[in-house]
Amino acid sequence: MKNLNHKTRHFIVDPRSKFLILLLNSIFVFGGAGGAHPMMLPIRHVLIAIPLFFLLFEGKGKSACIAALGYAFFYIIQVTYFGLTKGLLNHMLLFSIGFFVRILPNVMAAYYLISTTTVSELISAMERMRFSNYLIIPIIVMMRFFPVVIEESNAVADAMRMRDVRFGGKKISKLLEYRFIPMITCSVKVGEELSASAIARGLGSPMKRTNICNIGFRGIDFFVFVFGILTIIVFSTTKM
Amino acid sequence: MSIVKTNKLTSKDLVTVGIYTAIYFVSMIVVGFLAFIPVFIPLMAILVPILGGIPFMLFLSKTEKFGMITLLSAINGILMFVMGMGIYVAITGLVFGLLADLVVKSGHYESSKKALLGYCVFSLWLFGNFIPFYIGREAQIAMLAEGYGQEYANALNTVMPINMAPVLFVACVVFALVGGVIGKAACKKHFERAGII
Repeated sequence: MKNLNHKTRHFIVDPRSKFLILLLNSIFVFGGAGGAHPMMLPIRHVLIAIPLFFLLFEGKGKSACIAALGYAFFYIIQVTYFGLTKGLLNHMLLFSIGFFVRILPNVMAAYYLISTTTVSELISAMERMRFSNYLIIPIIVMMRFFPVVIEESNAVADAMRMRDVRFGGKKISKLLEYRFIPMITCSVKVGEELSASAIARGLGSPMKRTNICNIGFRGIDFFVFVFGILTIIVFSTTKM
Repeated sequence: MSIVKTNKLTSKDLVTVGIYTAIYFVSMIVVGFLAFIPVFIPLMAILVPILGGIPFMLFLSKTEKFGMITLLSAINGILMFVMGMGIYVAITGLVFGLLADLVVKSGHYESSKKALLGYCVFSLWLFGNFIPFYIGREAQIAMLAEGYGQEYANALNTVMPINMAPVLFVACVVFALVGGVIGKAACKKHFERAGII
């Protein structure tokens, strides 16, 4: 989650639409709801394409293109070649197809939500959705904190690789003690500083929070919502 | 801000919940990737409680008010739901988080036995991931066959038979006990030394 400069951005999607995209992706693409019904197939592809296109417009074309290519490649393998394979090759393909066709679109939707929304936009959107503060603060802190945990984890992994504590190394039994625990220790320490700084900046003051950023539904959000409703209609017809 | 101790959650507590939810969820994702291999899906009932014990026991050392465990569990459940594990996991996350909170509260957030018991109850949120295999089993298997191929669905069908449910339930509790003990030991050995408790 970055502090994006508001003035340089032209393409702004309401965070609520981004939530909707992520939710639809996780239910219908990752969760596979609707099954193999022929009508679900084009819907699923549009669902996958929406966050990629939006990423493109937000100037993150490179990652969007890589994801799209990876998805297309493995999707083609899945529909053509995959049924013919057996044994080990089948399992390896299964693993990569599962990753690229199912998880990757969901990851891209989550990446889109996190990388293109400022913290204040997100807070403002959740306040408009009438979330209570008890939910907003932990969720915001968590989103801010994921990159920290991953970064700390990578740093510990680098240090431990020198001592051969890694997957496939000699000291694999010590993985838990020398990688997982230091990761937690580092993250908690960073977290305590973060918590102190957030309170110093007025988080949790009894006054109602005001917000400078201006979110609201625009044309593109309307499109997303109409498509969401369409998806649900198609899904309910496949049940009959 | 007043420094008077209240029973209501302050924003500092909420920030703590956010931090530990992030740590807990990242550890869940690490194990979750293994679930692509069919054999590992029932094994989740062993791996998840053991690995989760360390962050959760550390988290318990920071909680002293009602609601923090419930929030962690509920948000974790919602995240799992958003990640596509089905709606049940959001429900079990809320329910078992609340129960665990009540258990730990009965020990006034100090008793170490109640903390262990609380972790056992909390770990049952994982059961929400298995419910689709028991309610609407045919649909789930058909869906898997469509998404991952017939071979994968068949493998799952054999490793997740319908009478497995009580075994998974017991395994969850037993290995949560193990994970909790490991977590307590880790707290003593590492975290107290590092000065974060």
